[in-house]
Amino acid sequence: MNLSTPDTTPTPASVAHWRNYPRFLWNALLDSVEGNWVFYVWMTFLTAIFLVGANAWAVQVRDGMHLTNMSDHVSWALYIANFTFLVGLAAGGVMMVIPSYLYHDEEMHDIVLIGELLAIAAIIMALMFVVCDLGRPDRFWHLIPGLGRFNFPVSMLTWDVIVLNGYLLINLHICGYLLYMRFLGRKPNPKWYVPFVFLSIIWAISIHTVTAFLYCGLGSRPFWNTALLAPRFLTSAFVSGPAFIIIAIQVIRRAIGGKFGDGPIRTLVNIMRVTILINLLMVASEVFVEFYTGGTHTSAAHYLYFGLHGHNALVPWIWSSVAMTVIAAILLLNPKVFSRSWMMNLACVLAFIGIWIEKGMGMVIPGFVPSVLHEVVEYTPSLLEWKIMAGIWALGLMIYTLSIKIAINVFRRSPLAAKAQGGTTDEQPLAS
Amino acid sequence: MPPDTRFLDGMKSGNLQTLVNGITHASFCCLVFLGAALKTAGAEGAGVSSDPVAASTNAILHPVIIKRPAGTPKVATGLTNFHGQPVMASCSSCHATTTPNIDTRTTADLAQFHQGLKYVHGSLTCLSCHNAKNYDTLRLADSRPVEFTDVMTLCSQCHGSQRRDYNMGLHGGMIGHWDLTKGGRTRNTCINCHDPHAPAFPLVMPVFPPRDRISVPKQPSAKPPNH
Amino acid sequence: MNTTTTDPQESKGLSRRTALKGVGAMLGVAAFAKAIAPLTEWTRDISAEEFVQKHYKELTPIDLQIILSRLEKDTKEQYGADVTIKDHKPQEGVKFGYALNLSVCNGCRKCAEACHIENNHDRPSNQSYIRVFEMSKGSMDMEKGNAHYDHPVPQPDKFYMPVQCQQCEHPPCVDVCPVEATWKEPDGIVVVDYNWCIGCRYCEAACPYHARRFNWTKPVIPANEINPTQSYLSNRIRPQGVMEKCHFCLHRTRNGRLPACLEACPTGARVFGNLLDPKSEVRQVLAHKRVFVLKEELGLKPQFFYFFDV
Repeated sequence: MNLSTPDTTPTPASVAHWRNYPRFLWNALLDSVEGNWVFYVWMTFLTAIFLVGANAWAVQVRDGMHLTNMSDHVSWALYIANFTFLVGLAAGGVMMVIPSYLYHDEEMHDIVLIGELLAIAAIIMALMFVVCDLGRPDRFWHLIPGLGRFNFPVSMLTWDVIVLNGYLLINLHICGYLLYMRFLGRKPNPKWYVPFVFLSIIWAISIHTVTAFLYCGLGSRPFWNTALLAPRFLTSAFVSGPAFIIIAIQVIRRAIGGKFGDGPIRTLVNIMRVTILINLLMVASEVFVEFYTGGTHTSAAHYLYFGLHGHNALVPWIWSSVAMTVIAAILLLNPKVFSRSWMMNLACVLAFIGIWIEKGMGMVIPGFVPSVLHEVVEYTPSLLEWKIMAGIWALGLMIYTLSIKIAINVFRRSPLAAKAQGGTTDEQPLAS
Repeated sequence: MPPDTRFLDGMKSGNLQTLVNGITHASFCCLVFLGAALKTAGAEGAGVSSDPVAASTNAILHPVIIKRPAGTPKVATGLTNFHGQPVMASCSSCHATTTPNIDTRTTADLAQFHQGLKYVHGSLTCLSCHNAKNYDTLRLADSRPVEFTDVMTLCSQCHGSQRRDYNMGLHGGMIGHWDLTKGGRTRNTCINCHDPHAPAFPLVMPVFPPRDRISVPKQPSAKPPNH
Repeated sequence: MNTTTTDPQESKGLSRRTALKGVGAMLGVAAFAKAIAPLTEWTRDISAEEFVQKHYKELTPIDLQIILSRLEKDTKEQYGADVTIKDHKPQEGVKFGYALNLSVCNGCRKCAEACHIENNHDRPSNQSYIRVFEMSKGSMDMEKGNAHYDHPVPQPDKFYMPVQCQQCEHPPCVDVCPVEATWKEPDGIVVVDYNWCIGCRYCEAACPYHARRFNWTKPVIPANEINPTQSYLSNRIRPQGVMEKCHFCLHRTRNGRLPACLEACPTGARVFGNLLDPKSEVRQVLAHKRVFVLKEELGLKPQFFYFFDV
């Protein structure tokens, strides 16, 4: 994957992909059920949560969405909040790719997969949240152009369908191609992945911009109808993405006992230092415009930050989010953050949760309170919604764990890795 | 007499029979007309609306029925006759022998008869509308008599803006068809909704409170939020 | 091909580890099947024909007849009522408009009740397309409006404003629907194909007038309360999980009749008719009264007009 080193592996006469690709998949499957006791406990735990969520969703489909606490006033809630956050996480996951490829950061190259696999897992989760939010998931085929009726280009949801699925396919291709080449013991051909990498960088910007346009195009909801929404989404994505990856790198390091990723972590912390400040600036800008101007259009912001007519369910949430993001910013800006990993990890966790609140419940719900006819009907998620949310997050973490595991195993067994480490392995090259 | 809500119920349900039952001073009578363009004359006795579509298309229009009172109302005497039916008296059966008092303007002055009459209609005297020369008719402002069936003309003299709206179809509601080429409609006279002695629309309790979320069982009464 | 384990027992066939994994996998699959078992109960209510049904605009007349018969049969099975479901087409030269006299409306909410009855709404939730607001005189600020008043009306310092679908000329709900399940008909009514809607509720987020409703549950209506005169695009009983909205009672108005809310209004505050006919009552309102529309600044051009008497 190193751009500066050309492909020096002699090309075999024929690489029988029809035989090797299923082997690659079979190996991946075997990898995914093999591990130490920590792995089994983790996966069983996640499976249990996933099953609870799956059952909750099945009950929701059968009995109707009145089991959620949504109403005709607050008609999008926890599911769409998570969807929005996860699209951002998927976009942010590719943040590592930019310094790696645009700025030839060699150290970043080898672990850029961690970010791209995060993008895949996050997009799958986002799509699952959308499916769980549909009243009629059996009518999903109505969205397929040609089969159903696709209101493109007028409806922003159709743009979202295209960009999200496209992003998933691009990242599946990049990761799949790189892993498969590793599996074969061959150097990846830049022609087959570098254009896609650059495409995925642009596409990452677009998925979150389109998702923002879903909201900010609606004139009926003044809280959302701001030009700043898309930039805010992007900046907060570029806080939450790197935060997750920094934690993920450390977890993976501990799991496989390797020592790598210090340079990338430093790069990511530096990215976060900038993006978290820009995010705070944008929040301040929104708050100023809302409260300085005043008027009826600011009722939603008033509800969010200070409560409205005695309804103040969201007030503790948003102030926690503000506090978390500010503390995370202070911690990140501290020069000692590189030597004290507790400081860095705390900052990442705080930033991640703070952005989840701000972008999820702190953006979606105030769009509906007060309603368009200025009625206040509050919302707190029901148990069923929490179950489904937990189930989808569990599934996403499972996908991410497995894909990282498969990637690591492919890397370890790759003859290139053996050469790089200067040792020998007792494993045969896998290409035939 | 207190306003009779059976008018409103009858109008709402479109059930003509409901209107007819037991009404003392307004029984059902229809004035039907067919045909092409016609204009409304303000002072004429036939207080029916114009037909806007007909003027342009000359299509056959279905009738617009106006629920006018049948005639002079009769008052129950409280007695019943040999067959058990209540004995009703026309206005002139008493008033032919009494002396009209042009100053009477409150129900306190009517202590002996007309008990239970609620009167809140400005500072008009009774005989501003009732005809002292013939109690079986009403009188217009210039003292011309007008039949009870044409009471709308009397109301319109003072309440011209409402009558103008009524002529355009903007007052008094209707049941039936917006498209008179497809069917007719039924409309009210003034006194179907407004008791002539206390015409202000009565206070009612609202029905059918809205619910904000259906995942919560219905509460007995919807409390307003603390605004 | 290498396996990932170096267990010496591997060469002897099925290892303990593999057996455990197999058992675990089977348990997992069984647990998953049990977890999503409620879906099988749900699919019982949905037929194959309904699943593959095409969009309303793509149906041939014969398709539509078959579908209407199937829907009538389904209603009989699920609700125990005999109903007739027709398809009412828009008329030429007709564009519906609705006007509401704010000087006359007394806030009795009989219009909301009539809508509930006429349109076969879910009974337990008191669903209706109309919401009536008690507003303070001298202010159009809906922030001060209250839909939950429970005292005799009209109060002397208040006026009453029912709000329902405004059948906008540029409806944002139509723009945002990803599957074109909602569209504006030639006679001005914005309709929903309940068998095409996927229930994403984007239209509900986009509507500035709170006109759209979602079926959070399967409607519950006793058989004897069901209005049997139904239409495909209007008041047939909607399935669970789809959007619905005021449709100006098109099963009545496309036959020339007045909508149910208008007939129920005891004060005569509502005026309905054909905006293309210069002599219609609603055109008289536009010509002679001080008329305004809600949220005019959004540029959606609603066809629901509010006016005060002079």
